[in-house]
Amino acid sequence: MFKRSILKDFDKTFILVVLLIFIIGLLTIYSATQARDLPFSESFFVRQVIWMSIAVLFIIIALVVSYYRFIDIAYVIYVLNIFLLIFVLLLGKARLGAQRWFSIGAFAFQPSEFIKLSLILVLSGYVGARKDTMARAGNMIIPIILLGIPFVFVLLQPDLGTALLLIPIFFSILIVGGADMRYIIGMVVAGLSAVPVFWHFLRDYQKQRLLVFIDPNIDPLGAGYTIIQSKIAVGSGGLIGKGWLNGTQNQLNFLPERHTDFIFSVIGEEFGFIGASAVVLLYLVLVKKAFTIANTTSDMYGKCIATGVGVLLAMQVIINIGMTIGLMPVVGIPLPLVSYGGSSLLSTMIAVGLLLNVGMRRSTF
Amino acid sequence: MKDRIITGLISFLFVLLLASLFYNQVLRYFYYSKLSKNNSIRILPIDGPRGKILDRNAQVLVTNRLSFDAAIVYQELGDRERLFRVLGDTLAMTDRDILKALAKAQKKPYAPVTIAEDISKEKAMALEESGCDIPGLRTETRSKRDYIYKNSGAHLFGYLSEITEDELLDMKDYGYRSGDLIGRSGVEKYYNADLRGIDGGTQIEVDNRGKEMRSLGVKEPSSGKDVYLTIDRSIQLACDKLLGDRKGAAIVMDPRNGEILALASHPAFDPNIFVKPDTSQERLGLLRDKVGRPMSDRAISGLYPPGSVFKIVTAAAGLESNRISKNTQFTCMGSFRLGKAKFDCWKKEGHGPQNIVGGLKYSCNVFFYNTGRTVGVDLIENYAKIFGFGKLTGIDLPDEVKGIAPGREWKRVYRKSAWYEGETINYAIGQGYLMVTPIQVLNMMASVANNGMIVHPHVVKRIGDDFVQAQKPKRLDIKDSTIKIIRQGLFEVVNGEHGTGSRALVEGVIAAGKTGTAENPLGKTHAWFSGFAPFDDPKICVVVFLEHGGKGGLEPAGIAGGIFKEAKNRGYL
Repeated sequence: MFKRSILKDFDKTFILVVLLIFIIGLLTIYSATQARDLPFSESFFVRQVIWMSIAVLFIIIALVVSYYRFIDIAYVIYVLNIFLLIFVLLLGKARLGAQRWFSIGAFAFQPSEFIKLSLILVLSGYVGARKDTMARAGNMIIPIILLGIPFVFVLLQPDLGTALLLIPIFFSILIVGGADMRYIIGMVVAGLSAVPVFWHFLRDYQKQRLLVFIDPNIDPLGAGYTIIQSKIAVGSGGLIGKGWLNGTQNQLNFLPERHTDFIFSVIGEEFGFIGASAVVLLYLVLVKKAFTIANTTSDMYGKCIATGVGVLLAMQVIINIGMTIGLMPVVGIPLPLVSYGGSSLLSTMIAVGLLLNVGMRRSTF
Repeated sequence: MKDRIITGLISFLFVLLLASLFYNQVLRYFYYSKLSKNNSIRILPIDGPRGKILDRNAQVLVTNRLSFDAAIVYQELGDRERLFRVLGDTLAMTDRDILKALAKAQKKPYAPVTIAEDISKEKAMALEESGCDIPGLRTETRSKRDYIYKNSGAHLFGYLSEITEDELLDMKDYGYRSGDLIGRSGVEKYYNADLRGIDGGTQIEVDNRGKEMRSLGVKEPSSGKDVYLTIDRSIQLACDKLLGDRKGAAIVMDPRNGEILALASHPAFDPNIFVKPDTSQERLGLLRDKVGRPMSDRAISGLYPPGSVFKIVTAAAGLESNRISKNTQFTCMGSFRLGKAKFDCWKKEGHGPQNIVGGLKYSCNVFFYNTGRTVGVDLIENYAKIFGFGKLTGIDLPDEVKGIAPGREWKRVYRKSAWYEGETINYAIGQGYLMVTPIQVLNMMASVANNGMIVHPHVVKRIGDDFVQAQKPKRLDIKDSTIKIIRQGLFEVVNGEHGTGSRALVEGVIAAGKTGTAENPLGKTHAWFSGFAPFDDPKICVVVFLEHGGKGGLEPAGIAGGIFKEAKNRGYL
């Protein structure tokens, strides 16, 4: 299936690190959900394994097909993804509530998880095609629109975290693509000055979450509860942790959302600083490798994709772990490869596939 | 070059992440570790039962009973229809009551919320029987204070109520916690520290809802000490019965050692009201009753003019100072003149010539006007104080007041004027500024009964296994001969022909005493009788006080007679 020359650049270390992180995630999901007494076949552990097997199929597709084919159909994927976002919005409205996912059979599907990839592809396509003219001001307009449309719809989902994630992806691809730094800085300034307007559109619970970030004690039993309990969990893990399945914050149910967004609190509590920093370092390995691929690829499309994926991974890790220790506001971003959830796992694995795809083919161009 | 910005920024953020993990997990480990333990470890208190209160013969007066509450855990409730039917049938709750209870329970969905407090044992059994398969419905048992004799002895025992926020702040160090009951008056208050049980507790690990996950250890509670009173149940009951619905007080004491055998104040209250649910109206009613003042203990906190019972003090002052002797005679013509002022004797036609014994026997005012005038205010004040007026008797009950034994100094300080001789005349017969409590009058009478030995009145004999060491009687600075003369007068009061206290006479009991009828600005005279028996070897000393009760020689003397009779029946005389 692969040409030998391609396989030579296939990064086995990368896949091993991904697997290692996933296994740590599985163990943590098991620990975080064992109190629920679900039959093993229905447990989150097993479901995550099933998701992983599906994800492996997707990663194979993302590897086998040259990333050029994805760039070719980037606009189709992008538009389709926007439609799905709108569809979920309408579905949610019809049900009189917020809903960012819809179900296909037994599985919930969350289109906002995939818009990150769609944006990486569509921006890479646009920037890659204009590698010599990106410094022009006129070439800033289309990328802004490409960012703006999904940003608004994701925000309406409501999914503040994913919407915010789109911003570093956008800037990193533009920078790599050769945009004029003055425009970049101008956009950052404009974006920051728009924050008060943006604030106006946030839902109350989102505002509350951002406010408790500044001071968790303003609402210790509401929005601040999660942050306080999470910090206690991580901090009480100490150097070596309380041991797997032995975290009291985790096992005694003090941590909300501990198998999804706050899974790192369980890692911090049960595996201590040694385990927590090991996980951070493993992610750092992935991110560094992504940037190495970006730097060693001469093709601008591939460079953009690799940078976008690298930044996406890095920012997800930083925001997610940051929010468990109170460094970042609680915005609802899963920890890639570790948090329970099919859509997140799938989109991360596709991103990994795209990255390796670029890495495998970098020398052929 | 531009790429460096991105990698540089991201590397920086990763380093920041690692640094704050190090800060939180390594540097602040102890802080968070403590918080984590506080989170999950709770102490479930186990009540240490309050000690019982018993009488001198180990008859239980105040105890604890099991009370049953119906409670629901909202989260566990299933079939509402059955719940409504069972609660309706067994507890006679209406649908509206039940809906209200459910709304209350919904606020704390994971904890048992009491919906019916203190239901009868039968109802509790019925509820257990028909509701045992309704999840979330349960009966809980609690220990409740039980004042067996209800109103009888209420002021003696006192009552309990929940500790307040302010008190909690002060007493936290002594192991009190929110919801604890503490004594508010009487023995319950004075001996609260002894009666109070020491709560034990189970240390448990809980989850975020406070649900017990496992037990880490148990500290057994210890119950409070039983308190044995000097009270005799039958005499106490007799006193309460004899007082009936009159306002007043009756106290019975052994004059030899100060042991109180009965202490009654009327109107009384039922201390059970303060531990029963849904009685806030009744409680308020008791606390706000300004006319009956049922919560105040008239026996030790009520201040009244003593009237003629005080003549004992005037007599002692006269005899001790040699201003009068046993044979000194004053002639009563029905009134006494001091300048322009005229002071009446209670008997308009007069008692004729009287000596000290006759003066006491007939309670002749004119005799004591003359004695008082001869003796002077300073000596009366001095002897009032010797007999214990104007200071606390030190009885082991809370809220005793000391009253007023006035004098020149007192009047200068509190009334800002000089003492007038007319006031001395009134002082001599127990009127004027003089204010005393029934327990002070009793204590004075006991020292006469006890041949000049004053005792320390007390109500507690034994705490747990430890006998309370009673204070030794103290000799008053009064000659035996003086006491002997006064005793002779008091004997005549009860036993002599036309003595004012003859109603205290009971067959087979040789008693002595003194009546008092005290004028007061508030209405009808207060009525007093205080006496002792048997005359030769006094074992019982009583005081009966009736607020606006008319003449001391009538009802109070009669009640004292009743008490002597009961004491004889009980073998005290």
